[in-house]
Amino acid sequence: MATSFIYDALNGINHTLFFYYLCTNLIYLFLLIVAIFSSTHHLRRLASTRLERLKASPLAPPISMLVPAHNEEKTIAVSVRSMLSLDYPEMEVVVVNDGSRDNTLAELVREFRLLRTDLLYVSEVPTAAVRGVYMSQIEPRLIVVDKEPGGSKADAVNAALNAASCPFICVVDADAILERDSLLRIMAPILTDPRRVVAAGGIVRVANGSRIVEGELRSVRLPSRPIEVLQVVEYLRAFLIGREGWAHFNMLMIISGAFGVFRRDLVRQAGGYRHDAIGEDFDMVARLHRLLLDRKEDYHISFVPDPVCWTQVPGDVKSLGSQRSRWQKGLMDVLWRNRGMLFNPRYGRVGLIALPYLWIFEMLAPVIEIVGYSSIILAALLGVLNGDFFLQFLIFGYAFATMISIGSVLQEEISYRRYNDWRDVVRLILYCFLEHFPYRQLQMIWRLKGMWQFLRGDTSWGKMERAGFETQAEAGVKKDPAAQSGLASR
Amino acid sequence: MRFAFDRIREFGPAGIVLEAILASMVGITLLVAFILLRRAWRRRQFRRREERALAIRGKWEGIVSGRIPAANWRFHPIDREIIQSILLDALEVSPPEQAAPLLRCLRNSGLFDTLVHEARTLHGWRRNRALLALGRTRAPEAIAALGEGLDSRDAHTRLDAVRAMGRTGLPEAAIPILERLVGGELGVPVSPLQNALLNACRPRPAVLLPFLRRAPDEVRPLLARVLGEIANEELGDELLVLVHDKLAEVRAAAARALGRAKPRVALSALATLGSDKEWFVRLRAVVALGELRDPLAIPMLIATLCDSNRLVRLRSAAALAQHEEHLAEILELVQRTGDRYALHALVSELERSGGLMKLIQSLIDPERMEYSRAALTSALRAGTERLLLDALAHHAHWRVRLSVARLLANSGKSELASQIESMLDEAGSSRQQRVMRWVVNQLRSGGPPEKDEAPEPVSA
Repeated sequence: MATSFIYDALNGINHTLFFYYLCTNLIYLFLLIVAIFSSTHHLRRLASTRLERLKASPLAPPISMLVPAHNEEKTIAVSVRSMLSLDYPEMEVVVVNDGSRDNTLAELVREFRLLRTDLLYVSEVPTAAVRGVYMSQIEPRLIVVDKEPGGSKADAVNAALNAASCPFICVVDADAILERDSLLRIMAPILTDPRRVVAAGGIVRVANGSRIVEGELRSVRLPSRPIEVLQVVEYLRAFLIGREGWAHFNMLMIISGAFGVFRRDLVRQAGGYRHDAIGEDFDMVARLHRLLLDRKEDYHISFVPDPVCWTQVPGDVKSLGSQRSRWQKGLMDVLWRNRGMLFNPRYGRVGLIALPYLWIFEMLAPVIEIVGYSSIILAALLGVLNGDFFLQFLIFGYAFATMISIGSVLQEEISYRRYNDWRDVVRLILYCFLEHFPYRQLQMIWRLKGMWQFLRGDTSWGKMERAGFETQAEAGVKKDPAAQSGLASR
Repeated sequence: MRFAFDRIREFGPAGIVLEAILASMVGITLLVAFILLRRAWRRRQFRRREERALAIRGKWEGIVSGRIPAANWRFHPIDREIIQSILLDALEVSPPEQAAPLLRCLRNSGLFDTLVHEARTLHGWRRNRALLALGRTRAPEAIAALGEGLDSRDAHTRLDAVRAMGRTGLPEAAIPILERLVGGELGVPVSPLQNALLNACRPRPAVLLPFLRRAPDEVRPLLARVLGEIANEELGDELLVLVHDKLAEVRAAAARALGRAKPRVALSALATLGSDKEWFVRLRAVVALGELRDPLAIPMLIATLCDSNRLVRLRSAAALAQHEEHLAEILELVQRTGDRYALHALVSELERSGGLMKLIQSLIDPERMEYSRAALTSALRAGTERLLLDALAHHAHWRVRLSVARLLANSGKSELASQIESMLDEAGSSRQQRVMRWVVNQLRSGGPPEKDEAPEPVSA
């Protein structure tokens, strides 16, 4: 009787897992198809927009670029120079030195001949104390805010938000490299329909392996380390399929903290970035949805797949694990805080589709995965494992997930084609087959660790070192590209 | 294949999984094959295209002049596409005299008629592409076909027709847009519409005026914004009517237009707008006053520097900081207003714009020395000691440091003494420390120093 019950239970779990896995992949397959149509449409629309005309338009709304910087002495000067050289009619760059213990501020003062001024700084969104506001004698578009450490990226972004004066803000990581026309591209949907489009996210790509000189990307190559290539596949899947697909239905829930544009007035109305948010980018988008849906406004949050922001991804297992644990904590934090929106018809498709998806297929994924592995091991130990079923399940899961990953390479290939070398494309395809073991299992462990930390109330960011872009360029990225810092991109 | 699936179904529920596995495997194979084959095909295609483009460039003069008959290349799809794209690219950037032969080639070869035909008969993105190409020709006869695009039921087609109209850069192209806009028949987003009108009306902004008068209130701000960007001296006094418009957005645009057109009466009109009840009208007026760079505007800018709105104050400060020759008087006048916020805004702007730094540098310029000293004394009274203290401790030129030392010693601001004392460690040499101590002593003693009491020059 008991054996039969266990057998039935394990069988039930295995079938549920099969169904769960099938659903995940079917959703991704659906999103892939939508994304392919959506990006084809986007490319056609882009051809008619003509970026150089936008660049010359005096009516393009000005943008404040907000750059939170914490211990970024190696990259800050190059990054800021690169941002100031972006193609856009009117912009300002607001760098916030968030209590760096290194020479970030000194580096900025030296490079841009900064002067401390009595510029009026109104703390509309509360932040840690501001020590001073600096302006450049050689670059009037640059403002640097020096503040006490606030303990989070959100606090630094809020300080930058207080100093910003333009109607749109673009939050950029200090270690990110933006392509010259990326601002114009990300603003294209906003310029086309400024009343409806309240925010837009751009694609974040992996810079490891590429040649970067003086803050400018010279050639795009795949990194040499397997752990980095696996992340390239992951980023392609997440951005070119996931975000593109969700944005098509106006259900985009994350705009990367490394590169995204928002309407400043709305961000302020939402109370700025939440100070204690672990995933402040996700949190902001969720709160924007909430704010606008509460007001019953007609709005759109766009994803633009071609304005490229290049960022370093962790090059070692430890840093990657720490990053993924943090992402999981951020996900749980935001979903839990917004649980009132879940299955709430008042929040439309966000409450009824996007958030349930995130709960079931993102947040709980590592739990369901570990339950799956445990039930298989238990069934094998008890001798009740259906070997055929297990094998079929394994092969099917592997083949379907590989197909989706290759789909993201296809999407890259037919739309944006950043990897020009044949060998890179072949390697990308190859890694689509390799990512299921042991990378996937490691991810599960890191995410479970993140869950555990969150449940214990540990909301720390962790601390990591990084190499500058120049080092990368000189070494042809043979050197350790090091890892993300606490202000890493999601 | 059907047989294989029938066999699989014999496995029962497991068969479905096997089918799924098979389908996934086939999917993977097809995707990989597609990616690799497409890459190979594109590579070949691009090579071919490059070869043809090179050959066409070699015969370009003959093609444009018509010596090589169009029949030789028009029916060859790749050649036609290359020639059309080269012609359109060249047309977009050519001055009128160079554009004429290109347009003639386009017309004589029949490419122009094909584009008109496509813009009228095709649907979807093909029609849109033809519309945009027609706009790039900048030919007046394209306007009729583009006008039909404005009446399309498809929003994207209307949008592309508007963009194409803008690309012609012809004032005549603005009229169909304006007529539909005023009649409320054009449903396109504001931003591309503004850009199109901007480009089309730029050669003759006066085209906008009759429509601005008769347009409904929802549309007038948009037209006024465009006018504000492209106004020129030809518009002259016609802009004055807009200064008293009932819509604040129009008045703001009028301020911008006045700043650009600079008519005779701009100053008085902007003075009126500078005291408007709407802050953004005042802001625009202040910016325009700054653009005039007329010293007569200084009193108005000082009045707006005391505005209740922060942005107006900041812009006024920026405009005032541009009057470098009158900084001493400006500082004096601003202090007399007794408005701390105004003074703060001005001082911040002078620091930011480098105006104060220039004054400090010119302390050793015999021609400007007296003026700089007077201006810096006013600035010091206004509270800009930080920059002067910084110059006292760190300026590269010893004569500047010395001049600043005298200035500070003369200031009578005894509260600076402790600050200078705390900076003694930053001094680069013992002699510099002596200078700083001398300033401290003078400030503490309270009396103005005699000239011969000043410290000895310190070498750099």
